[in-house]
Amino acid sequence: MTVHTAPPQMKTAPPGRDATAPHPAALFLRALWARPAARKLLVLAAAAAVLVPVAAAAHGSGTWPSALTVDLSKPLTGASDWIIDNRDSHWAFLYFFGHISGAIIAAVHAVYTVLLALGWAGVTAAAALIAWRVAGVRVAVTATASFAACGLLGMWVPTMRTLALMIVAVAVSVAVGALLGLAAGLSDRTFRALRPVLDTMQALPAFAYLLPVVLVFGIGVAPAVLATVVYAAPPMARLTALGLRSTDQGVLEAVESLGATGRQRLLTARLPLARRELLLGVNQTIMMALSMAVIASVIGADGLGDRVYQALSTVDVGSALAAGIPIVLLAIVLDRTTAAAGASGPPSSSARRPWVGWALAAVVTASFTLGGRMLGSQTWPDGWTVAIAAPVNTAKDWMVDHLYTGLPGIGGTADLAAHYTGWILDPLRDGLQALPWWGALLLVAALAWLIGTWRTALTAVLSLAAIGVLGRWELSMDTLSQVLAAVAVTLVLGFTIAVPAARSPRVERLLRPVLDVFQTMPQFVYLIPVVALFGIGRAPAAAAAVVYALPAVVRIASEGLRRVNPGAMESARSLGATGGQQLRQVQFPLARPQLLLAVNQAVVLVLSVVIIGGLVGGGALGYEVVFGLAQGDLATGLTAGVAIACLGLMLDRVTQPTKGARDGA
Amino acid sequence: MNGTGAGTGATTEQMPEQTPEHAPQAAADAPAVFSVRNLWKVFGPKADRVPGSDLAALSAEELREQAGCTVAVRDVSFDVRQGEVFVVMGLSGSGKSTLVRCLTRLIEPTSGTIAIDGEDVCGMDKGALRDLRRHRAAMVFQHFGLLPHRSVLDNVAYGLEIQGVAKAERRAKAAEMVEKVGLAGMEDRRPGQLSGGQQQRVGLARALAADPEVLLFDEPFSALDPLIRRDMQEEVVRLHRDEGRTMVFITHDLSEALRLGDRIALMRDGRVVQCGTPEEIVGSPADDYVRDFVRDVPREQVLTVRRAMRPAAAGESEEGESLAPTTTVAEAIETVARTGTAARVVDGGRCVGVVDHRSLLGVVAGLDSSRKAAA
Repeated sequence: MTVHTAPPQMKTAPPGRDATAPHPAALFLRALWARPAARKLLVLAAAAAVLVPVAAAAHGSGTWPSALTVDLSKPLTGASDWIIDNRDSHWAFLYFFGHISGAIIAAVHAVYTVLLALGWAGVTAAAALIAWRVAGVRVAVTATASFAACGLLGMWVPTMRTLALMIVAVAVSVAVGALLGLAAGLSDRTFRALRPVLDTMQALPAFAYLLPVVLVFGIGVAPAVLATVVYAAPPMARLTALGLRSTDQGVLEAVESLGATGRQRLLTARLPLARRELLLGVNQTIMMALSMAVIASVIGADGLGDRVYQALSTVDVGSALAAGIPIVLLAIVLDRTTAAAGASGPPSSSARRPWVGWALAAVVTASFTLGGRMLGSQTWPDGWTVAIAAPVNTAKDWMVDHLYTGLPGIGGTADLAAHYTGWILDPLRDGLQALPWWGALLLVAALAWLIGTWRTALTAVLSLAAIGVLGRWELSMDTLSQVLAAVAVTLVLGFTIAVPAARSPRVERLLRPVLDVFQTMPQFVYLIPVVALFGIGRAPAAAAAVVYALPAVVRIASEGLRRVNPGAMESARSLGATGGQQLRQVQFPLARPQLLLAVNQAVVLVLSVVIIGGLVGGGALGYEVVFGLAQGDLATGLTAGVAIACLGLMLDRVTQPTKGARDGA
Repeated sequence: MNGTGAGTGATTEQMPEQTPEHAPQAAADAPAVFSVRNLWKVFGPKADRVPGSDLAALSAEELREQAGCTVAVRDVSFDVRQGEVFVVMGLSGSGKSTLVRCLTRLIEPTSGTIAIDGEDVCGMDKGALRDLRRHRAAMVFQHFGLLPHRSVLDNVAYGLEIQGVAKAERRAKAAEMVEKVGLAGMEDRRPGQLSGGQQQRVGLARALAADPEVLLFDEPFSALDPLIRRDMQEEVVRLHRDEGRTMVFITHDLSEALRLGDRIALMRDGRVVQCGTPEEIVGSPADDYVRDFVRDVPREQVLTVRRAMRPAAAGESEEGESLAPTTTVAEAIETVARTGTAARVVDGGRCVGVVDHRSLLGVVAGLDSSRKAAA
């Protein structure tokens, strides 16, 4: 049982054919030992042979033994109750958390007031002009059309609420992230300390961040902003540090040779040279913040996310879509504008003075604001809206009647979902849950060690064990089964698309805009179409996860395949290799690190959506969080949140290729 | 320009251990700008223990095995005199780039002393060191080290900006420097829009803008095409002729060293193998390594008639063309071939010797060194 992962390796090891050898078995072992992968497995098998009988004898071979769990619900409930009781009296809340919360609420309110004061005309004009100044005419047109669409859909007020929350959250995230990144960029020690934390934070699903914030701050705008900041600041910190650390050493030396002080070096050389990374950091932070600001509706963030959340809870696809479209449009406008700022070169000093353009933009915005006021309406005029909810719901009902079942040949989407659940998810879940607990630990250890190092293996095993200790073993296995199935589908589809995209520039050109749009959309909005197509359950959650993770997988994999050393490809061609041979023997092996990265990303992204799938009937850990929030049962939610974090950490580490592992596996 | 500088008639510094007190005295009338004594730079763990210990005697290979250290500069001593172009030459890995960085402590030396105008560089605190880098020694780098986000003019003005010079003043000064290096009209371009040669002109202008006492060049033209390199070398020669600024020039290119250098220090494995005028390096190689190095040098272009001449026989000191002692053999050959007779070498109105076909051809054929060695 313990060595069940070893046989495939043994088969590939050369058999001991030499007759003069002392013992064929010894020779076989030696040959096995020569392979690093086999060596790791042998060590693991030896450790298992000692430990497993002991563990199995003590705690049985079923699911995680109850003797090894720690029930945290009592102390957590106690802590939660204490916080609720003392929120208005204890000094920590009065003088610290209270002020933070108050400041955030005041800031969001102030921004919201300004947006309202600008009116729909002013906001649209400001957005268009900023986009024009930063990114050019095309993006400006997109911005105008997008804001107009938000108004037309009757979503002006929720859009402004989301925007106000976003502006505050992004400002704080960028400030916090830039400061952390500055520290990590300038000091090696800080960098070493910070990097694993940032890496881990990036692997965790958004849902895991919600509950700790709620525990301290309750439900409302302040915790929503804080959760958003925690989620969105890491990319800024990471990219700032990266930008500062990758400064051209030659330039730094030259600056030093001119007698610059440390501060001069930072302000005149390192920061300007890191401009591209800094702006990319801002872009990523904005996208992450939007994604989280929408999800944070489950902890009381007002706005578009809340509309989607409310609509989804009553399976009102039409209303969900009406709120979902503005989210997507907002995402596209924000992404295009900030991405263009990073892509363009530094502002040319020979160009006419930049403030003239900005002053012009301000004047135009002001005049539009005044014009809007004279028309009499601050928010979008009621008469100008188009109600799409009813027609969309009619269309959805038609789909339910005609596409769900009974289609000749394919059977319909509901049938597909039922088959996926019944034939793939259920057996997988039952299998994982039937797996002895020590077997699961061993499997994770073997996988993580084969792909990475003993460190990643240790982290992965400890994370999985922590889930068991928390008493969320069965639920986590359920979530894990959903993740594994969705990842498998994602990888099959992703690599199938990536290979032609890597080989044909035309396919790549066709795919690029599609990928661009899909990659900018927040996870949350993917739930809307899948609910329309597949109803409620685990299958729609899986479908949303696949669609969300697919673009990243296609992009990373095709880029990896395309970037394979052209010299190696040319020599393979010159030797007469067929297309398939080139792919199998040159491209796949050389692109291995990139392909592994694609797998890693697939796992991380799929997990984040599968968890959110708790909102549409995905069950398991995600539902526990939603349930905990909805019922005010923070202990349940918090434990599930920690389990989610552990699961995320485990999955990330299992699939994390490291440089040192290139000789392995 | 070859060998006509301060080192005329100096004795060759044959032994690397020899300190410059015993070395070229003839040009010692010019005070030393940089004075380097027993300089060591060792990279690796516990580098301090290497100089002065038993480890110092080990070869680079043995040291790496026994102590895990790499020696970049090994017990180097020399003087850079005011107004001269001092070239440090060696193949890659010989420690020359490390050596020049030690001069302004861009790389901290392990041991030894460096003095600029008699002032101890190693003992300077941060402020004094900054002052040294800002006003007294400016460096030009192989890969230019320009700031890509600034215009040419702002790059040139950058050193002055660091010093805190007011904007109008530094821009005026920078414009003057841009003009001087022949980039007028390109002030608003970015470094990325310039060719390699132009970028290095910007680097040169930036170094000149601070009006430093010494210019340090770290293989400035190695990354350039041969023709551009030639242009830039002439630029440096012109600058030196016009301003007489002291220069320390690092190169791996022998012809560049011979063309620019008043004196050349030849480095190998961190040591200075030989230090002397181009004529001394080519004419009297200190060891087989140097001899090998200069084997392909056209000797008649570097050596002067001083080396080719023989004592004047009776009557010869009165007639024939007269040549200065600094005339190269190639030029003398031209004179002798034209006139068909021997030529006199005249130094200060006095005939110091005679060159004829035989003696000149002897230099070209390399017979002179064996003759000198035999003598």
